[in-house]
Amino acid sequence: MLFASFSKARQRHDAAPDRQDPAYERERNELVVAHLNLVRFLALKFANRGEPLDDLVQVGTVGLLKAIDRFELDRGVEFTTYATPTIVGEIKRYFRDKGWAVKVPRRLQELNLAVNRASEKLAVQLGRSPTVVELSQDLGAGEEEILEAQELGQAYNLLSLDSEISSDGDRRSQTLADTVGMTDSGLETLEDRANLERAFAVLSGRERVIIYLRFFESISQTEIAQRLNVSQMHVSRLQAKALDKLRAVLKE
Amino acid sequence: MNQPASREAVTDVVELRIPAKAEWVSIARLAVSAVASRLQFSIEEIEDVKLAVAEALVSSIARGGSRIDIICESLADGLRIRVRNFGVPEQPEVIDVASVDESAASSLGVFLIRALMDTVDYDARAEGGSDLVMFKRLPA
Repeated sequence: MLFASFSKARQRHDAAPDRQDPAYERERNELVVAHLNLVRFLALKFANRGEPLDDLVQVGTVGLLKAIDRFELDRGVEFTTYATPTIVGEIKRYFRDKGWAVKVPRRLQELNLAVNRASEKLAVQLGRSPTVVELSQDLGAGEEEILEAQELGQAYNLLSLDSEISSDGDRRSQTLADTVGMTDSGLETLEDRANLERAFAVLSGRERVIIYLRFFESISQTEIAQRLNVSQMHVSRLQAKALDKLRAVLKE
Repeated sequence: MNQPASREAVTDVVELRIPAKAEWVSIARLAVSAVASRLQFSIEEIEDVKLAVAEALVSSIARGGSRIDIICESLADGLRIRVRNFGVPEQPEVIDVASVDESAASSLGVFLIRALMDTVDYDARAEGGSDLVMFKRLPA
Protein backbone atom coordinates (compact mmCIF):
# COMPACT_ATOMS: atom_id res chain seq x y z
CA MET A 1 0.00 0.00 0.00
CA LEU A 2 1.33 3.36 -1.09
CA PHE A 3 0.26 5.02 2.11
CA ALA A 4 2.53 3.17 4.50
CA SER A 5 5.66 4.82 3.15
CA PHE A 6 3.97 8.13 2.42
CA SER A 7 2.81 8.55 5.98
CA LYS A 8 6.47 8.39 7.13
CA ALA A 9 7.42 10.97 4.52
CA ARG A 10 4.55 13.16 5.59
CA GLN A 11 5.58 12.99 9.24
CA ARG A 12 9.04 14.10 8.15
CA HIS A 13 7.55 16.91 6.11
CA ASP A 14 5.18 18.04 8.88
CA ALA A 15 8.10 18.21 11.31
CA ALA A 16 10.00 20.57 9.01
CA PRO A 17 7.52 22.01 6.50
CA ASP A 18 9.96 24.53 5.01
CA ARG A 19 12.68 22.07 4.08
CA GLN A 20 12.94 20.81 0.52
CA ASP A 21 11.86 17.17 0.50
CA PRO A 22 11.82 15.69 -3.01
CA ALA A 23 10.99 12.21 -1.73
CA TYR A 24 7.88 13.54 0.01
CA GLU A 25 6.80 15.51 -3.06
CA ARG A 26 7.30 12.51 -5.30
CA GLU A 27 5.31 10.16 -3.08
CA ARG A 28 2.53 12.68 -2.71
CA ASN A 29 2.35 13.07 -6.49
CA GLU A 30 2.24 9.31 -6.93
CA LEU A 31 -0.71 9.13 -4.57
CA VAL A 32 -2.52 11.86 -6.46
CA VAL A 33 -1.94 10.16 -9.80
CA ALA A 34 -3.01 6.80 -8.38
CA HIS A 35 -6.35 8.24 -7.31
CA LEU A 36 -7.17 10.47 -10.26
CA ASN A 37 -9.42 7.69 -11.53
CA LEU A 38 -11.47 7.98 -8.38
CA VAL A 39 -11.75 11.76 -8.88
CA ARG A 40 -12.74 11.29 -12.50
CA PHE A 41 -15.30 8.64 -11.58
CA LEU A 42 -16.90 10.89 -8.98
CA ALA A 43 -16.77 14.03 -11.15
CA LEU A 44 -18.55 12.15 -13.95
CA LYS A 45 -21.47 11.46 -11.61
CA PHE A 46 -22.04 15.19 -11.27
CA ALA A 47 -21.46 16.00 -14.93
CA ASN A 48 -25.16 16.29 -15.78
CA ARG A 49 -25.64 19.31 -13.57
CA GLY A 50 -24.55 21.93 -16.06
CA GLU A 51 -20.90 22.52 -15.19
CA PRO A 52 -17.96 21.43 -17.39
CA LEU A 53 -16.46 18.06 -16.45
CA ASP A 54 -12.93 19.51 -16.48
CA ASP A 55 -13.90 22.00 -13.79
CA LEU A 56 -15.40 19.23 -11.69
CA VAL A 57 -12.27 17.09 -12.04
CA GLN A 58 -10.22 20.09 -11.00
CA VAL A 59 -12.18 20.85 -7.81
CA GLY A 60 -12.40 17.12 -7.13
CA THR A 61 -8.60 16.96 -7.29
CA VAL A 62 -8.43 19.72 -4.71
CA GLY A 63 -10.58 17.48 -2.51
CA LEU A 64 -8.23 14.58 -3.17
CA LEU A 65 -5.21 16.66 -2.09
CA LYS A 66 -7.00 17.62 1.12
CA ALA A 67 -7.80 13.97 1.76
CA ILE A 68 -4.20 12.90 1.14
CA ASP A 69 -2.88 15.56 3.52
CA ARG A 70 -5.34 14.68 6.26
CA PHE A 71 -5.65 10.91 6.04
CA GLU A 72 -4.46 9.02 9.11
CA LEU A 73 -3.24 5.52 8.38
CA ASP A 74 -3.97 4.22 11.86
CA ARG A 75 -7.64 5.12 11.75
CA GLY A 76 -8.35 1.76 10.23
CA VAL A 77 -10.41 2.89 7.23
CA GLU A 78 -9.61 2.49 3.59
CA PHE A 79 -8.28 5.63 1.95
CA THR A 80 -11.07 5.49 -0.65
CA THR A 81 -13.66 5.45 2.13
CA TYR A 82 -12.02 8.50 3.61
CA ALA A 83 -11.34 10.37 0.37
CA THR A 84 -14.72 9.94 -1.35
CA PRO A 85 -16.72 12.22 0.98
CA THR A 86 -13.94 14.80 0.88
CA ILE A 87 -13.88 14.83 -2.93
CA VAL A 88 -17.68 14.78 -3.21
CA GLY A 89 -17.86 17.55 -0.60
CA GLU A 90 -15.51 19.71 -2.62
CA ILE A 91 -17.52 19.14 -5.82
CA LYS A 92 -20.79 19.93 -4.05
CA ARG A 93 -19.34 23.06 -2.54
CA TYR A 94 -18.39 24.18 -6.03
CA PHE A 95 -22.02 23.86 -7.15
CA ARG A 96 -23.17 25.71 -4.05
CA ASP A 97 -20.75 28.56 -4.76
CA LYS A 98 -22.15 28.76 -8.27
CA GLY A 99 -25.64 29.30 -6.89
CA TRP A 100 -26.73 26.02 -8.39
CA ALA A 101 -29.52 25.34 -5.86
CA VAL A 102 -31.15 28.58 -6.93
CA LYS A 103 -30.63 28.07 -10.64
CA VAL A 104 -32.08 24.57 -10.78
CA PRO A 105 -35.60 25.45 -9.60
CA ARG A 106 -35.53 28.43 -11.94
CA ARG A 107 -34.44 26.22 -14.82
CA LEU A 108 -37.19 23.73 -13.98
CA GLN A 109 -39.75 26.50 -13.87
CA GLU A 110 -38.59 27.85 -17.19
CA LEU A 111 -38.57 24.37 -18.67
CA ASN A 112 -42.05 23.84 -17.27
CA LEU A 113 -43.29 26.91 -19.14
CA ALA A 114 -41.40 25.91 -22.26
CA VAL A 115 -42.98 22.45 -22.10
CA ASN A 116 -46.45 23.98 -21.96
CA ARG A 117 -45.74 26.25 -24.93
CA ALA A 118 -44.13 23.47 -26.93
CA SER A 119 -46.95 21.03 -26.29
CA GLU A 120 -49.52 23.52 -27.52
CA LYS A 121 -47.43 24.20 -30.62
CA LEU A 122 -46.85 20.51 -31.31
CA ALA A 123 -50.49 19.67 -30.66
CA VAL A 124 -51.42 22.04 -33.49
CA GLN A 125 -48.72 20.68 -35.81
CA LEU A 126 -49.42 17.02 -35.12
CA GLY A 127 -53.15 17.19 -34.61
CA ARG A 128 -52.73 15.25 -31.35
CA SER A 129 -51.07 15.64 -28.01
CA PRO A 130 -47.27 15.22 -28.37
CA THR A 131 -45.26 12.48 -26.64
CA VAL A 132 -42.50 13.22 -24.18
CA VAL A 133 -39.95 12.06 -26.74
CA GLU A 134 -41.29 14.61 -29.26
CA LEU A 135 -41.19 17.34 -26.62
CA SER A 136 -37.66 16.36 -25.69
CA GLN A 137 -36.54 16.64 -29.32
CA ASP A 138 -38.31 19.95 -29.78
CA LEU A 139 -36.83 21.49 -26.65
CA GLY A 140 -33.43 19.80 -26.72
CA ALA A 141 -33.93 18.60 -23.15
CA GLY A 142 -33.77 15.08 -21.75
CA GLU A 143 -36.97 13.06 -21.28
CA GLU A 144 -36.32 12.72 -17.57
CA GLU A 145 -35.77 16.45 -17.33
CA ILE A 146 -39.09 17.17 -19.01
CA LEU A 147 -41.02 14.81 -16.76
CA GLU A 148 -39.28 16.33 -13.79
CA ALA A 149 -39.99 19.86 -14.91
CA GLN A 150 -43.66 18.97 -15.23
CA GLU A 151 -43.68 17.44 -11.78
CA LEU A 152 -41.28 19.61 -9.79
CA GLY A 153 -41.95 22.78 -11.75
CA GLN A 154 -45.33 22.88 -10.10
CA ALA A 155 -43.89 22.22 -6.67
CA TYR A 156 -42.06 25.52 -6.80
CA ASN A 157 -45.11 27.68 -6.30
CA LEU A 158 -46.11 28.09 -9.89
CA LEU A 159 -49.79 28.92 -9.76
CA SER A 160 -51.92 28.69 -12.82
CA LEU A 161 -53.80 31.82 -13.71
CA ASP A 162 -56.84 29.61 -13.66
CA SER A 163 -56.40 28.44 -10.08
CA GLU A 164 -59.30 29.36 -7.89
CA ILE A 165 -58.64 31.87 -5.16
CA SER A 166 -62.02 32.49 -3.59
CA SER A 167 -63.45 29.87 -1.29
CA ASP A 168 -66.09 31.81 0.54
CA GLY A 169 -68.94 29.70 -0.72
CA ASP A 170 -69.74 32.23 -3.40
CA ARG A 171 -71.15 30.40 -6.35
CA ARG A 172 -68.99 32.39 -8.70
CA SER A 173 -65.50 31.15 -8.21
CA GLN A 174 -62.76 33.68 -8.73
CA THR A 175 -59.48 32.86 -10.38
CA LEU A 176 -56.14 34.58 -10.30
CA ALA A 177 -56.70 35.63 -13.88
CA ASP A 178 -59.86 37.45 -12.86
CA THR A 179 -57.90 39.63 -10.47
CA VAL A 180 -55.42 40.55 -13.18
CA GLY A 181 -58.10 42.28 -15.17
CA MET A 182 -59.58 41.44 -18.51
CA THR A 183 -57.75 43.43 -21.13
CA ASP A 184 -58.44 41.10 -23.99
CA SER A 185 -62.13 40.39 -23.76
CA GLY A 186 -63.14 43.42 -25.76
CA LEU A 187 -66.60 42.83 -24.45
CA GLU A 188 -66.61 45.71 -21.99
CA THR A 189 -66.55 48.14 -24.87
CA LEU A 190 -69.79 46.81 -26.25
CA GLU A 191 -72.71 48.98 -25.47
CA ASP A 192 -75.24 47.69 -27.78
CA ARG A 193 -76.57 44.49 -26.38
CA ALA A 194 -78.69 43.89 -29.42
CA ASN A 195 -75.59 43.91 -31.55
CA LEU A 196 -74.02 41.35 -29.31
CA GLU A 197 -77.02 39.10 -29.44
CA ARG A 198 -76.94 39.23 -33.22
CA ALA A 199 -73.24 38.51 -33.19
CA PHE A 200 -73.79 35.49 -31.00
CA ALA A 201 -75.72 33.91 -33.80
CA VAL A 202 -72.49 33.26 -35.68
CA LEU A 203 -71.12 31.11 -32.88
CA SER A 204 -71.52 27.39 -32.71
CA GLY A 205 -73.45 26.00 -29.79
CA ARG A 206 -70.33 25.01 -27.92
CA GLU A 207 -68.61 28.35 -28.53
CA ARG A 208 -71.67 30.14 -27.24
CA VAL A 209 -71.68 28.04 -24.07
CA ILE A 210 -67.99 28.77 -23.46
CA ILE A 211 -68.33 32.52 -23.99
CA TYR A 212 -71.37 32.60 -21.77
CA LEU A 213 -69.76 30.65 -18.93
CA ARG A 214 -66.46 32.46 -19.25
CA PHE A 215 -67.62 36.08 -19.47
CA PHE A 216 -71.10 36.12 -18.01
CA GLU A 217 -70.63 33.54 -15.27
CA SER A 218 -66.88 34.21 -14.76
CA ILE A 219 -66.06 30.52 -14.65
CA SER A 220 -62.45 29.47 -15.24
CA GLN A 221 -61.37 27.74 -18.42
CA THR A 222 -60.28 24.79 -16.35
CA GLU A 223 -63.67 24.46 -14.78
CA ILE A 224 -65.43 24.88 -18.12
CA ALA A 225 -63.19 22.17 -19.50
CA GLN A 226 -64.28 19.85 -16.72
CA ARG A 227 -67.96 20.63 -17.28
CA LEU A 228 -67.72 20.03 -21.02
CA ASN A 229 -65.37 17.09 -20.53
CA VAL A 230 -62.70 18.48 -22.88
CA SER A 231 -59.16 19.74 -22.26
CA GLN A 232 -58.48 23.23 -20.96
CA MET A 233 -56.39 23.85 -24.08
CA HIS A 234 -59.37 22.99 -26.21
CA VAL A 235 -61.54 25.46 -24.28
CA SER A 236 -58.84 28.08 -24.71
CA ARG A 237 -58.74 27.53 -28.48
CA LEU A 238 -62.53 27.59 -28.81
CA GLN A 239 -62.72 30.75 -26.75
CA ALA A 240 -60.09 32.49 -28.88
CA LYS A 241 -61.86 31.43 -32.06
CA ALA A 242 -65.22 32.58 -30.74
CA LEU A 243 -63.85 35.96 -29.73
CA ASP A 244 -62.30 36.40 -33.16
CA LYS A 245 -65.63 35.62 -34.78
CA LEU A 246 -67.44 38.09 -32.51
CA ARG A 247 -64.91 40.81 -33.25
CA ALA A 248 -65.20 40.24 -36.98
CA VAL A 249 -69.00 40.42 -36.91
CA LEU A 250 -69.09 43.50 -34.68
CA LYS A 251 -66.65 45.39 -36.89
CA GLU A 252 -68.94 45.09 -39.88
CA MET B 1 -29.40 -7.82 11.21
CA ASN B 2 -27.98 -4.36 10.78
CA GLN B 3 -29.03 -1.39 12.81
CA PRO B 4 -32.01 0.28 11.19
CA ALA B 5 -31.17 3.67 9.71
CA SER B 6 -33.72 5.34 11.93
CA ARG B 7 -35.84 4.20 14.83
CA GLU B 8 -38.67 6.52 13.91
CA ALA B 9 -41.94 4.89 12.95
CA VAL B 10 -42.63 4.56 9.25
CA THR B 11 -45.52 6.79 8.23
CA ASP B 12 -45.92 6.27 4.48
CA VAL B 13 -44.47 3.75 2.09
CA VAL B 14 -44.03 4.03 -1.67
CA GLU B 15 -42.88 0.90 -3.51
CA LEU B 16 -41.66 0.56 -7.03
CA ARG B 17 -40.75 -2.67 -8.81
CA ILE B 18 -38.64 -2.42 -11.93
CA PRO B 19 -36.99 -4.94 -14.24
CA ALA B 20 -33.26 -5.23 -13.48
CA LYS B 21 -32.35 -3.41 -16.70
CA ALA B 22 -30.50 -0.12 -17.17
CA GLU B 23 -33.31 1.49 -19.18
CA TRP B 24 -35.60 1.49 -16.13
CA VAL B 25 -33.20 3.32 -13.84
CA SER B 26 -34.50 6.75 -14.81
CA ILE B 27 -38.04 5.72 -13.78
CA ALA B 28 -36.76 4.98 -10.31
CA ARG B 29 -34.83 8.27 -10.22
CA LEU B 30 -37.97 10.17 -11.10
CA ALA B 31 -40.17 8.34 -8.61
CA VAL B 32 -37.68 8.75 -5.81
CA SER B 33 -37.14 12.42 -6.59
CA ALA B 34 -40.89 12.95 -6.44
CA VAL B 35 -41.06 11.25 -3.04
CA ALA B 36 -38.10 13.26 -1.72
CA SER B 37 -39.61 16.47 -3.04
CA ARG B 38 -42.88 15.68 -1.25
CA LEU B 39 -40.95 15.25 2.00
CA GLN B 40 -39.57 18.80 1.57
CA PHE B 41 -35.96 17.91 0.84
CA SER B 42 -33.98 20.66 -0.88
CA ILE B 43 -32.98 20.45 -4.52
CA GLU B 44 -29.43 19.53 -3.57
CA GLU B 45 -30.62 16.75 -1.26
CA ILE B 46 -33.02 15.46 -3.91
CA GLU B 47 -30.14 15.27 -6.39
CA ASP B 48 -28.07 13.40 -3.80
CA VAL B 49 -30.84 10.88 -3.22
CA LYS B 50 -31.39 10.39 -6.95
CA LEU B 51 -27.70 9.84 -7.54
CA ALA B 52 -27.45 7.40 -4.63
CA VAL B 53 -30.46 5.40 -5.85
CA ALA B 54 -29.12 5.31 -9.40
CA GLU B 55 -25.77 4.01 -8.12
CA ALA B 56 -27.49 1.39 -6.00
CA LEU B 57 -29.53 0.26 -9.00
CA VAL B 58 -26.55 0.09 -11.33
CA SER B 59 -24.61 -2.05 -8.90
CA SER B 60 -27.73 -4.12 -8.30
CA ILE B 61 -28.23 -4.71 -12.02
CA ALA B 62 -24.62 -5.82 -12.33
CA ARG B 63 -25.29 -8.60 -9.83
CA GLY B 64 -28.10 -10.16 -11.85
CA GLY B 65 -31.61 -11.12 -10.81
CA SER B 66 -34.60 -10.22 -12.91
CA ARG B 67 -36.16 -7.45 -10.88
CA ILE B 68 -35.38 -4.81 -8.27
CA ASP B 69 -37.74 -3.41 -5.66
CA ILE B 70 -37.31 0.16 -4.50
CA ILE B 71 -39.07 0.80 -1.21
CA CYS B 72 -39.27 4.39 -0.01
CA GLU B 73 -40.28 4.78 3.60
CA SER B 74 -41.23 8.19 4.89
CA LEU B 75 -40.11 8.69 8.49
CA ALA B 76 -40.60 11.63 10.79
CA ASP B 77 -36.91 12.49 10.54
CA GLY B 78 -36.13 11.58 6.96
CA LEU B 79 -36.41 9.18 4.03
CA ARG B 80 -35.32 5.55 4.11
CA ILE B 81 -34.89 3.75 0.81
CA ARG B 82 -34.43 0.01 0.41
CA VAL B 83 -33.07 -1.22 -2.87
CA ARG B 84 -34.00 -4.89 -2.82
CA ASN B 85 -31.96 -7.07 -5.08
CA PHE B 86 -32.64 -10.70 -5.99
CA GLY B 87 -29.24 -11.52 -7.51
CA VAL B 88 -25.86 -12.44 -6.01
CA PRO B 89 -25.42 -10.77 -2.60
CA GLU B 90 -23.26 -7.68 -2.42
CA GLN B 91 -19.62 -7.87 -1.36
CA PRO B 92 -19.08 -4.18 -0.99
CA GLU B 93 -15.94 -3.61 0.97
CA VAL B 94 -12.42 -4.07 -0.31
CA ILE B 95 -11.45 -2.89 -3.76
CA ASP B 96 -8.17 -1.73 -5.22
CA VAL B 97 -8.70 1.85 -6.25
CA ALA B 98 -5.39 2.08 -8.07
CA SER B 99 -6.88 -0.19 -10.72
CA VAL B 100 -10.31 1.34 -11.15
CA ASP B 101 -11.90 0.05 -14.30
CA GLU B 102 -15.40 -0.66 -15.55
CA SER B 103 -15.89 -3.71 -13.34
CA ALA B 104 -14.82 -1.85 -10.20
CA ALA B 105 -17.06 1.09 -11.01
CA SER B 106 -20.14 -0.49 -9.45
CA SER B 107 -18.27 -1.09 -6.18
CA LEU B 108 -17.00 2.47 -6.26
CA GLY B 109 -20.63 3.47 -6.43
CA VAL B 110 -20.99 2.19 -2.88
CA PHE B 111 -18.42 4.73 -1.69
CA LEU B 112 -20.33 7.42 -3.50
CA ILE B 113 -23.60 6.33 -1.88
CA ARG B 114 -21.95 6.51 1.54
CA ALA B 115 -20.77 10.02 0.76
CA LEU B 116 -24.25 11.14 -0.30
CA MET B 117 -26.51 9.52 2.27
CA ASP B 118 -26.47 9.71 6.07
CA THR B 119 -26.40 5.97 6.70
CA VAL B 120 -25.98 2.95 4.44
CA ASP B 121 -26.49 -0.66 5.55
CA TYR B 122 -26.86 -4.10 4.05
CA ASP B 123 -29.48 -6.63 5.01
CA ALA B 124 -28.96 -10.13 3.68
CA ARG B 125 -32.35 -11.73 3.29
CA ALA B 126 -33.09 -15.30 4.32
CA GLU B 127 -35.31 -15.67 1.23
CA GLY B 128 -32.28 -14.82 -0.95
CA GLY B 129 -31.03 -11.52 -2.32
CA SER B 130 -30.21 -8.51 -0.19
CA ASP B 131 -31.36 -5.03 0.72
CA LEU B 132 -29.20 -1.97 0.45
CA VAL B 133 -30.77 0.32 3.02
CA MET B 134 -29.97 4.01 2.87
CA PHE B 135 -31.26 6.86 4.93
CA LYS B 136 -31.29 10.59 4.24
CA ARG B 137 -32.07 12.81 7.18
CA LEU B 138 -34.32 15.83 6.80
CA PRO B 139 -32.68 19.07 7.91
CA ALA B 140 -33.86 19.83 11.44
